[in-house]
Amino acid sequence: MKRRSFLKGTLATGATAVAVNAGLLTPSTVLADWNSKAFKAKKIDDAIASMFGSSSTSNSGDIILKAPSIAENGAVTPVTVDVSKMSGVESIAIFASKNPLPLVCEYSFAGPAIGYVSARIKMGETQNVMAIVKAGGKLLKTEQEVKVTIGGCGG
Amino acid sequence: MSIKIRMRGKTKGGIADIKALIKHPMESGVRVDKKTGKPFPAKFIDTVEVTVNGKKAVDAQWSGAVSANPYMGIRIKAEKGDEININLSDNTGDKGSKKIKLK
Repeated sequence: MKRRSFLKGTLATGATAVAVNAGLLTPSTVLADWNSKAFKAKKIDDAIASMFGSSSTSNSGDIILKAPSIAENGAVTPVTVDVSKMSGVESIAIFASKNPLPLVCEYSFAGPAIGYVSARIKMGETQNVMAIVKAGGKLLKTEQEVKVTIGGCGG
Repeated sequence: MSIKIRMRGKTKGGIADIKALIKHPMESGVRVDKKTGKPFPAKFIDTVEVTVNGKKAVDAQWSGAVSANPYMGIRIKAEKGDEININLSDNTGDKGSKKIKLK
């Protein structure tokens, strides 16, 4: 069994290497770099700084952050960030303040995209969900507490 | 192995509502196997790219804290018949892509 999976693994990596060498994978199919420094940061401020280059944020009432006040299952917490009425939105990032690695996801927009994101995230315990929006070079922030009841009735 | 994606898009008043469901375990690398005491190896989608008629619209970066079988909802200015393309890859190099025409 082990031998089989090992062979499979080597074959698969071999095939990708060949594809790259043969120029089958054109640069356009290679996706943007993953910001490992921001995603591995254990403190929320460090994560913001590595992602956006600055950790100074200001609270904004214009960000519509939709998250449940009580999440029965923290592993699937629906979160929606809507800034479609705001102009010059460059990116939206979602943070879970008490997760071991706070940065959950980051979306950057170009051309025809509208500042709207809906996602489902994992939350280990009761904590704040934070949305950071970069618009017109400024970092705007809003947050909301989500109570996580593990195996509870959700009451 | 390619990653399975289901995607739908509908336009209304020049704005397309695009919803994608992706089949993926999204193992964060933090969760510990109680039997062995070792963490499960990380396997999660880290980069996602959405294009409209070949032009880049949304670039996303994810961590392992995005739920298993991720859902992504985005909105793009687009018309009926426009081609939406999604490309994604995970930290182990698995890739997935899907192309749809807007309804």
